[in-house]
Amino acid sequence: MINGNLKSTYAADERVLNNSYKQAFVYGMILALGLFTLTANDYFILIACKMGILLIAVVGVNVLTGYTGLVSLGHGAFIAIGAYVTTAFHNGFAGIIPDQIMPLIAIPVAIAVSALIGIIVGLPSLRVKGLYLAVATLSASFIVIFLIEQDAFAPFTGGVAGINTPIPNLFGWELDTKREMFVLIASLAFITLLMAQNLIRTRVGRAFIAIRDRDYSAEILGISLLRYKLTSFAISAAYCGLAGALFAYFYARILPEQFELDLSLELVAALIVGGMGRTMGPVFGVIIIVMVPELIKISFGAATGGALDLQRYAAPMQEIAFGLLLVFFLLKEPLGINHITDRILRAANRWPFARG
Amino acid sequence: MGQFAQFAINGLMSGAIYALIAVGIVSVFKATKVVNFAHGYVIMFGAYFYYTFAVIIPGMEGAPAWLASWNPAWMAEMRADLPMFSPMGAVLDWAANVPRILFGLAGALVCNAILGLIIERTLMRPLMGQSIFAMIMITVGLISILSGTASLIWTADADFVPHIAPNAPVRFDLFGTPIFLFGADLVNMAIALLIFVGIVLMVRYTKSGVAIRATAEDQSTAYSMGISVPKVFSRAWVLACTTGAIAGAILATRNGISPSLGLFGFSVLAIVLMGGLDSYIGVFIAAMAVGVMEAMTQWQLGGDWAEIVPYVAVLVVLLVRPHGLFGQAEVERI
Repeated sequence: MINGNLKSTYAADERVLNNSYKQAFVYGMILALGLFTLTANDYFILIACKMGILLIAVVGVNVLTGYTGLVSLGHGAFIAIGAYVTTAFHNGFAGIIPDQIMPLIAIPVAIAVSALIGIIVGLPSLRVKGLYLAVATLSASFIVIFLIEQDAFAPFTGGVAGINTPIPNLFGWELDTKREMFVLIASLAFITLLMAQNLIRTRVGRAFIAIRDRDYSAEILGISLLRYKLTSFAISAAYCGLAGALFAYFYARILPEQFELDLSLELVAALIVGGMGRTMGPVFGVIIIVMVPELIKISFGAATGGALDLQRYAAPMQEIAFGLLLVFFLLKEPLGINHITDRILRAANRWPFARG
Repeated sequence: MGQFAQFAINGLMSGAIYALIAVGIVSVFKATKVVNFAHGYVIMFGAYFYYTFAVIIPGMEGAPAWLASWNPAWMAEMRADLPMFSPMGAVLDWAANVPRILFGLAGALVCNAILGLIIERTLMRPLMGQSIFAMIMITVGLISILSGTASLIWTADADFVPHIAPNAPVRFDLFGTPIFLFGADLVNMAIALLIFVGIVLMVRYTKSGVAIRATAEDQSTAYSMGISVPKVFSRAWVLACTTGAIAGAILATRNGISPSLGLFGFSVLAIVLMGGLDSYIGVFIAAMAVGVMEAMTQWQLGGDWAEIVPYVAVLVVLLVRPHGLFGQAEVERI
């Protein structure tokens, strides 16, 4: 039992994993991931890759919505920008930059472009907030996707028909299988999670939280709303840009329609289901948001015995399940799964004494 | 000049329909402070209900023959000696469809009203007094539920439905240039404007309208004055869903019926924010302006570009006037 938060050094106070349960959980998870990479079959690797890419993006949305309190319904567009910039960079600089170090330059470029466009999209956030901002970001994402589809940009983006994506090559290590990609995605996801966790412990992160709690009060305390709201947009767009770059590397072909409203809503839904403004929230949320439709597909296939005429009902069922999941969590558990795990952890901490 | 007038009139006609859709979003916002992101999908349900009652049910076995095609003796007589493509022929074509059009509209209105009550009872009522964020996100969840349910019930194929009014071509000269319009579009515009004006008058002068305005002003004060706020909420939702049913029916006759009708709601949402969320007049002006701008864009740049006009317009307006053209600025206390 942990019966106090007794720290004798600053170093101990500053640790991310400040109790043995957290340590056991995180190290156990790393071990499990390693074993998973070595033993899981291709299908599970595919699902896990999807989760990893989505996770990085949801961590980005968490910085904006969870910590800074700015609602965005258009972050799918930043994933699109990341994916298309990566692809266009590979195609444009093929032969000029050696393949072995191409991803090392393409990914930062994608992140930087996303962050820059994030700042532009974030400009309305200085004047409007809440619902108005949600619609402003939604509008911006529609415009971005529309521009990607235009014939004028088709040489770079492939237009409506989509474009084939490159295979990443890290110092001669060609990541041409899903399993190899998973190693890259998982390690980047872990790093982004750690960075987000540390971000909120800094001056910038505390400013974000102050803006979330009451933006005018924060301004009176000397926090520049202009600077920090745009920083928040830039950081979250950068995370989504990274997710987009991995998206381009992971799939063989990208289409504009993959980044439409559904993706943006999926990001927000994962955040709400997992728990906003918490480090582990995106992790739980992404697992649920990816697993539930997948389980429905599998169980539906098993129940109907693979009858083709019934297969068309599977996609609407997944859609309804997604909506119900969002509604259920908003009605019954607004703080998300993270709140449930909090309760369980607290009960474990206090065992054998009173729970709650 | 001639082209300009033609496109301006086209724009005004689609603007009127935008206004009709927008009235649903504004009514719900005025009463409940919730912006319904799923309104486009409510409209889609209206369209599908109209399709069900006007096309599927009359076409079923056992449905009376006059429902599918009403053709009394005197009408057949009139039709017999008409030339091809005459306006009278178009009116007679329409007259044969009148029973199923009325049946379809009535069915769509009733079903959508029930849908509105269900949404209000199961999703909105439990969240009364909770944060606005949660309520908005519930309507975002509703998007998936509604669009999934629609594709479960109705197959996702595009289909056509009967026009609400006779679709005779109308030609006339304006400033010496010929203008070419369809009769159905004119009637649609008239219906949309009539409903819009009716709702504005209702909110201003009737008892339930005053209740809605009082609730919009201050919920707890309205409660203490003896207004049943939950009742106001359900009335607002029913109002939004029934206007949505008519809008859906009109849209279905214009664009054909397909799941993509739901996306319409987002451009209307942009229009509503542009006009100011709580101002009927502002929303009307914004709807007309966007309608005309879309038509002009279509004329100058092609149909593709028209679809992002509302989004560009709302971004520009929000940067200049954060609460829309005519919206009330919220006063915030620290």
